[in-house]
Amino acid sequence: MIFHDFGMATASLVGSLETKLAAVRNAGFSQVMISAADVVAHPGGTAAGVRAVRASGLEVTGLEALRDFEGLEGQLRDYKVDVARTMLEICADLGGRLLLVEASASKHASADPAVIARDLGKLAVMAVPLAIRIGYKGLPWSRTARDFRQGADLVMRADAPNLGVVVDAFDVLASGVPLEDLDILDPDQTFLVQISDYMWQEIRSAEEQIATATHFRVFPGEGAHSDALAQFVSRLDTIGYCGNYSFDVYNDDYLQMPPEAVSARARRAAVWLAETVLRRALPVPNLRP
Amino acid sequence: MTHATDREAIPEPQNPLGLDGIEFIEFATSRPQALGGLLETFGFRPVARHRSREVGLYRQGTMNIIVNAQPADVPRTVMPTERPVISAFAVRVRDAQYAFRRALELGAWEIPVRAQAMEINIPAIHGVGESLIYFVDRYDEFSIYDIDFRAIPTVDPHPPAVSGMHFFGIVQYVGPDRTADWTAFYSQLMGFTPLPNQVRFGIMPRGLLLESPCRTFYLQLIEPEETARFAPMEEHLQRIGLGAPDVPAAVASLGKRGIEFLATERVHSSERGALTKPLLGSVMFELVKSEARGTAAP
Repeated sequence: MIFHDFGMATASLVGSLETKLAAVRNAGFSQVMISAADVVAHPGGTAAGVRAVRASGLEVTGLEALRDFEGLEGQLRDYKVDVARTMLEICADLGGRLLLVEASASKHASADPAVIARDLGKLAVMAVPLAIRIGYKGLPWSRTARDFRQGADLVMRADAPNLGVVVDAFDVLASGVPLEDLDILDPDQTFLVQISDYMWQEIRSAEEQIATATHFRVFPGEGAHSDALAQFVSRLDTIGYCGNYSFDVYNDDYLQMPPEAVSARARRAAVWLAETVLRRALPVPNLRP
Repeated sequence: MTHATDREAIPEPQNPLGLDGIEFIEFATSRPQALGGLLETFGFRPVARHRSREVGLYRQGTMNIIVNAQPADVPRTVMPTERPVISAFAVRVRDAQYAFRRALELGAWEIPVRAQAMEINIPAIHGVGESLIYFVDRYDEFSIYDIDFRAIPTVDPHPPAVSGMHFFGIVQYVGPDRTADWTAFYSQLMGFTPLPNQVRFGIMPRGLLLESPCRTFYLQLIEPEETARFAPMEEHLQRIGLGAPDVPAAVASLGKRGIEFLATERVHSSERGALTKPLLGSVMFELVKSEARGTAAP
């Protein structure tokens, strides 16, 4: 398989967890990003959700997402640490090795880099005994890190080997971040790249960006920015990124389509990226550990 | 006036917890007599039994080993099985509650008190795999064992050590590419520092050595060999390192007691160290040339 490092996300699909996992597997993917909600909302309970994921034979790209974690104080901070513990335990139960953390959009969060680094460092230590890595992702509407550049600064400041950056192609394209800025990334501390496109040529306001990010994303090759996405992936390849790519496609249309139809689109996207963009002609050995 | 710390990085104290060696190492097993017999062959003596739990205390010289056969009642802790496993180690610190609170603040996972072998409140955190790390501060004026344990009558409570043996370290097996994670864990929570690669003790050279801030104790982190990288393996505490001033003499006296050491081309006893054959299916001890230092001295 030439797209072993590409995976889908359960959040792109509708249906039971088992249905989603089967759709991902049957489309030829070997890995899947799990939304915590899909596991805990399983009718048989969390343990049954975990069993379904393990029984699917799919590798878990990671668990998403811990939100509004960093920059808090007092009771609010203790509460979020507790939430983080639960997410880490679910991730470990799934056999996942990555917890995706979205930069805080909470009004209560401090923007002080020292405070944020303190909290990210703590989360990284919490994850060590469970053999989990923390992937920190900027959000355009976050108060702490608006994109991967600020995310990478905070990750460097927190300085923990199991803490790294997650890059979301949508946020780079929609915010107009220059592709050259990807060169600042340390490929070894870049733990995941999420990739998706959207249909509009431009996004006019922050509100429109939030709405697009959460409802109107499409798979790479289906949207209006195929060339930019191709350059984005090529650039990451050039700087030596060899981690996973996850299709984080959130689209209301896809949530009323059969999961098989959606995963077939994801497969087309993976084949396009692997064959046409990254020019993988033959199956290559998996060089990652 | 510019504050002094604005101009240069003032390092944190190297021993923030006042770490002072190992108080005890705990094994979990459902066959405590079998392990007890093995420990006795090794020169340990049973000196006390727990008042209410299936837990025994073995000792020689400065070394305490706890044998725990009590079924675990908390997730992610060792359920005793026939093969003994190292289920905990206890570090001596200046103030156990301070060390514990500081560890939690930095991201350690707390163990509920009732899950532990001891009934007095010895704070503990999750370590590697299912193991625990205890913080003990009352090791000078009176012993933690006085409260939970009943001394075994007619037994010398302080049996001397065979050939001056003392705790030297613990070998921890870690997953592929996990050495850096565990190094960060031990250095942040307890002030361990990695030693340069050319510093080696004993005869088992692989992995990274972490030195305790009191410089009396080492953790050796070992990743799987290349071919084993893809095999599933739980991370765990693999074996105990015992220091001995004269390794060949220690090997000889333990040999007389019935302990067999590996003698292959790659691994064999020498002045520098020795490694026992696996005992009871999983228990290994490694001998390392070391003078007892600091508080580790008998």
